[in-house]
Amino acid sequence: MDHRKYMTILKLDEAAIASRRAFFAVSDEDLARLASLRPLAEKIIDAIVEDFYALLLSHPDTRKFFADEATIRRVKRTQREYFMGLFAGRCDLAYVEDRLRVGAMHERIGLAPTWYLGAYRQYLELIRQHFDAQLTEQGAARDGFLSVQRLVFFDVALAIDTYIAANLEALGRHQAAVRELSTPVIRVHDRVLLLPLVGTVDSHRAQQIMESVLTHVVEAQARCIIIDIAGVPVVDTRVADHLLKTAAAVRLLGAQVVLTGITAQVARTMVQLGLDVSSMHTVSRLSEGIELALGMIGKAITAKSK
Amino acid sequence: MIQVAATHRLSIDCEGDIIAVRRRVRDIAELRKFDSFATAAITTASSELARNALVHGGKGVALIEEVTDGSRLGIRIVFEDEGPGIEDIPRVLAGGYTTARSMGLGLSGSKRLVDEFALESTPGSGTKVTVTKWRRF
Ligand SMILES: Nc1ncnc2c1ncn2[C@@H]1O[C@H](COP(=O)(O)OP(=O)(O)O)[C@@H](O)[C@H]1O
Ligand SMILES: [Mg+2]
Repeated sequence: MDHRKYMTILKLDEAAIASRRAFFAVSDEDLARLASLRPLAEKIIDAIVEDFYALLLSHPDTRKFFADEATIRRVKRTQREYFMGLFAGRCDLAYVEDRLRVGAMHERIGLAPTWYLGAYRQYLELIRQHFDAQLTEQGAARDGFLSVQRLVFFDVALAIDTYIAANLEALGRHQAAVRELSTPVIRVHDRVLLLPLVGTVDSHRAQQIMESVLTHVVEAQARCIIIDIAGVPVVDTRVADHLLKTAAAVRLLGAQVVLTGITAQVARTMVQLGLDVSSMHTVSRLSEGIELALGMIGKAITAKSK
Repeated sequence: MIQVAATHRLSIDCEGDIIAVRRRVRDIAELRKFDSFATAAITTASSELARNALVHGGKGVALIEEVTDGSRLGIRIVFEDEGPGIEDIPRVLAGGYTTARSMGLGLSGSKRLVDEFALESTPGSGTKVTVTKWRRF
């Protein structure tokens, strides 16, 4: 997904960025200090990037993200840009957009937050070492480091938000896909339909099932629709209510419902709930249901005569 | 003397929460090696009672407890809401009575699905249903 999309999903406008900056204590003073450290940053960047990748390449779980020399060269270049970005002296929309691009890229290649966060720890430690060695003036190393830390935490939050947003987006896409697949009415034979139900039957889906069943029954001029509930995890009174209502509507259209896929556990539970499903034909196995349905239209499955 | 080994507290604010409650109950039952009939029974009862808390009580909470009485393992679940409560308890427990144009079999059915069932309700201040299912050996 394009990183700009995350700007919208995460509602990152001027106001949101200002709010984040305030909470992460990224002040104008920090940004000015970081900008003034730019010459130092240029001086230490090579050492930091080299040491940083030495760590990433020394660990099996992070090494696998760097397939070849070309990849390593490319990510090192990106890393340099990222590093210098910390010393650009700004933290505005463009900056945030740039940071989201990094987060989106990590999410895309499947780098888990664990490694991302662990790498940041190392990164901060390297910066600290160089600051300590180079900024000799009293308190300068500490102040500089605190400013870096504030901005880095700001960046990390953006990256984590990107990870979560990407996952939620994927989940939403999968749910939509499953919903579309969730009421596949199959034509078993002329005038005999089959609906295998899989998964939870919530109110929304129950509605969909009813509509889909009735539409197909009319279109196919079906005499019988087999509803297989082997894949429904819980058959409670509400699921039963939906099935019974669907069966009643199907009967109005001159067809019958055959309920199949009833496990021993579900049968026992239905009896204990006091459910009366005698208005539907019920059989345990789908194959028996198909035989029963074919019988209703005067057909039968017979063995081939030699 | 019943001892509580672990507790899980789940709020019931929307339909998805009903699914979360019963899924947690099923996971615990399976983890604790309840047989498949007992697992189906307590899972289905949870579905009914969580839905009652949401539909009739507005919203509620489920407190799922893994308990032991010294010799047996059990799952005890308390469903609690601060909804309108129930006026005529014997009537709703008899089954077939509903104020929501549904089947009216949730309470009576749940009672049959579990080993212990207690319904406390005060009109105007809420409802509390406590159920326990013991593991058979
Ligand atoms: N938590 C609750 N709060 C208030 N009323 C309830 C609650 N649970 C059940 N009831 C009442 O008991 C009736 C029967 O409940 P139940 O047997 O589950 O059937 P249904 O939910 O289909 O109506 C409900 O219609 C409602 O009037
Ligand atoms: Mg109910």
